[in-house]
Amino acid sequence: MNSYNKKEEQEQMRQRLHPATALLYLVAVVFLSLLFAHPFFLLALFVAVGTIILSCGLVHEWVNYLKVGCGFLLVIMMVNVLFVRAGSTVLFWGPAFPGLGRMRITLEALCYGAGMGLRLLVIISAFCLLMYVVHPDGLIQLLGGRSYKTALALGLSLRLFPLMRADFLRITEVQQCRGVNYRGKKPGERIRKIVPAINVLLLSSLERAFQLAESLQVRGYGLGRRSHYLGKKWRLGDKLITVCVGAGSLLSLWLVWSGQAVYSYYPRLQSIKIKEVYSAVCIGLLFIVPACLNWGWKKWPSLRSRI
Amino acid sequence: MAFIKVEDLTYYYPETETPALEKINLSLNRGEFVLVLGSSGCGKSSLVRALAGLLPDFYGGRFGGRIYLENQEIRTIKRSALVKKVGMVFQDPESQLIMSSVEQELVLGMENLGLPVSLMKRRLMEVGEAFALSPYLQQRVTQLSGGLQQKVVLASILAMQPEILILDEPTSQLDPVAGEEILTTVRKLNEDQGMTVILIEQRLERCFHLADRVVVMEKGRIVQNQTNLKQLVVWAVKEGSPFLPPLPKLFARSGFTRIPLTVKEGRGLLSEETGGRFSCLSAEAAADQTGLVSRSQKKAKKPSPSPCLTGEKELLLQVENVAYTYENGVEALKEINLELYAGDFLVLMGENAAGKTTLLKNTRGLLQPTKGTVRFLGQELKTRPIEEWAGEIGYLSQYPGDYLFLPTVREEIEFTLDNLHLPKGVRVDLLLEKLGLTKFAESYARDLSSGERQRVALAAVLAADPKLIILDEPTRGLDYELKAHLGEILQNLQKEGRAILLVTHDVEFAAEYAAEIALMTQGTIIAKGSKEEMLSDSAFFSPQVAKLFGGLCAEPVVTLAQGKLVLEKIWERKEEGRQTMRSAEGAEK
Repeated sequence: MNSYNKKEEQEQMRQRLHPATALLYLVAVVFLSLLFAHPFFLLALFVAVGTIILSCGLVHEWVNYLKVGCGFLLVIMMVNVLFVRAGSTVLFWGPAFPGLGRMRITLEALCYGAGMGLRLLVIISAFCLLMYVVHPDGLIQLLGGRSYKTALALGLSLRLFPLMRADFLRITEVQQCRGVNYRGKKPGERIRKIVPAINVLLLSSLERAFQLAESLQVRGYGLGRRSHYLGKKWRLGDKLITVCVGAGSLLSLWLVWSGQAVYSYYPRLQSIKIKEVYSAVCIGLLFIVPACLNWGWKKWPSLRSRI
Repeated sequence: MAFIKVEDLTYYYPETETPALEKINLSLNRGEFVLVLGSSGCGKSSLVRALAGLLPDFYGGRFGGRIYLENQEIRTIKRSALVKKVGMVFQDPESQLIMSSVEQELVLGMENLGLPVSLMKRRLMEVGEAFALSPYLQQRVTQLSGGLQQKVVLASILAMQPEILILDEPTSQLDPVAGEEILTTVRKLNEDQGMTVILIEQRLERCFHLADRVVVMEKGRIVQNQTNLKQLVVWAVKEGSPFLPPLPKLFARSGFTRIPLTVKEGRGLLSEETGGRFSCLSAEAAADQTGLVSRSQKKAKKPSPSPCLTGEKELLLQVENVAYTYENGVEALKEINLELYAGDFLVLMGENAAGKTTLLKNTRGLLQPTKGTVRFLGQELKTRPIEEWAGEIGYLSQYPGDYLFLPTVREEIEFTLDNLHLPKGVRVDLLLEKLGLTKFAESYARDLSSGERQRVALAAVLAADPKLIILDEPTRGLDYELKAHLGEILQNLQKEGRAILLVTHDVEFAAEYAAEIALMTQGTIIAKGSKEEMLSDSAFFSPQVAKLFGGLCAEPVVTLAQGKLVLEKIWERKEEGRQTMRSAEGAEK
């Protein structure tokens, strides 16, 4: 897929969705991921968010986020396995450590770590979606009015983050061209060499911040009461997504309240009932609707004006 | 009554003892197109910032004197009224864009003014149409080219409908076509809507003729304030001021008393002076005087040997079938082939996003070609890490600030030497002297002017004594004097046998100092040849001198020196003709 198409797809999603819808969706996903402990429900959310990311052609970007997420996942699993002594299915008895006793690795601790890691992957994927599909301007528009300053700071941060990343890459390239070797084997040496690059980055960022502030000043920022231009309309697609997200969230709350989406890892892994799987699939389907709309918009262009 | 009046304006930036502006007195009329000229750090930007109300409100510092807008003291005008009256566009578009989408960027100023939504929609439509930005309204500003980004900034200011438009080097980062577009738009605003325009610009060939008034500054003072441009030219020639566009400079220095300001005027003048027999004369001149040769002779003539080498030229850089595709799928380079020998001076030119910087990065090893090979002295670049090539290939990026972080200029140079385990001492002093930096040796590089920063970064690169020097847009933001200095430095390096590969949008600079030009578009080199071949018959990528003689002269004339020789010959012939006439009249009597 070439970049034009890719950007086009991200743009389609960004342009079609009202920022409120996008934000509602992401808040719901993050909230439910924190609510659920059941791995099937977390998996359903992960698949739903992942499908939307795929429908936007953001595979490469998502993989980069997942790489970081998987690193954390491994750390979480290791820490949990090594330090949590709960669980009854012992997989391995290790040596004894002073103060900790004999190491005891259980299946339950391993699964709990994996479940929590999955939760982290859902949140990281939601953040990826926020970065690439939700327009920072949309957030500013949304928060508008009284929270304008906060929204502007948030929007600028979201915009400046990739800029600073690009700056850092450029600066390290330039320093390498002056003979700086960042590939040193000793971490201390590497850190010592990276410090000048960070120094340049901070100085350049300060200069840029000053220029942005000057640009804001000449465009009348902070004059007092400002008006609010709403470029986006609340369309049928937004209503559809909101209804689905609302229904999904209510269903999730009811399932958790009624104990149907609760899962306990300790002392022994709870068995998974088929009903729970159906419920998880149902939640996943409700949260996958934006991806379906995205594909629909691509496949049947006439839908764009209808939904 | 003056529209803008400045009285005894003196200004010191915080914690400085030297005034940035000193006793400035100036009156500007409504609807004037004012060009502000001067060397880097002379106070131009400070003056326009004061007119926009940014000094001292935004910067602090000590401020003396008064500025009146329509007879009202600027510091008594409410900020909301001042913002409506004065709009300002800065140099770097990327550092002015606040919002992410074009549409939101365009409405930002209007929202801040509290305009009603219906009015915002109307103005958005108007500026969108006027600047052909409507198709981009929903796009991210970061996805736009530099030219479009600058247009967005300009449009967002104009959507606020200011009476005075201030532009601080708005085209310095744009290619010639995009720069021309911006200035054409500004001129239209001035002519059609009577908007007062105050422009700071270094590339005078683009805008000198548009000005109703030219203000020349030096060390925080106004040294010339002229509405008669021809008189200004006379003054500049007399004083040896570098702030003249190439064309008036050429005529004035060739002894002409009538000075044209535009190529059209220049061609008319040439036609008058030669009685319409210009082409014959110049062909002769070319043959016997200018050193240029006729087309047939030229075909027979071999390329002039490199000034540095007496023997075989050493092949330094070899780029073979190089293609490069970015991770996001953008195909930036396609089938590039290029060879660079010791003593070559090649300039890459082309529109924004043509792939020039990507090519430079591939030739330095910062990017690995997706296809094809890049070799330096026969060895593939990818076989060694980037830092190990520092002693052979120097790279100066578009942003000199990326190099500077140490407390003194001397330490910046020593940093490179330390990394490469090279001796310091005399070497540093020689380099400082060579680049005219000796007096700044103990200064903090980030406190220096843009031209000086540029030289410090270049010194940091040259410290490694590279055989090939790669420079990306080194003339950005430099005035004529600094550009000439940089050009001389590069030509001296060329004479020492170093190869130079440079990217620039500055046609005049390329014409004066390059040996060869390669034109790039959409990731390919579409043409490459001597600067005379490449720059003589293009509408946009040709210097004023080439435009002046284009189609009139048998041979391409692109540098000021070449143009001067042709004009001097014309002048001599005219004088000879006059003398012959006088002798004939004397004989008749």
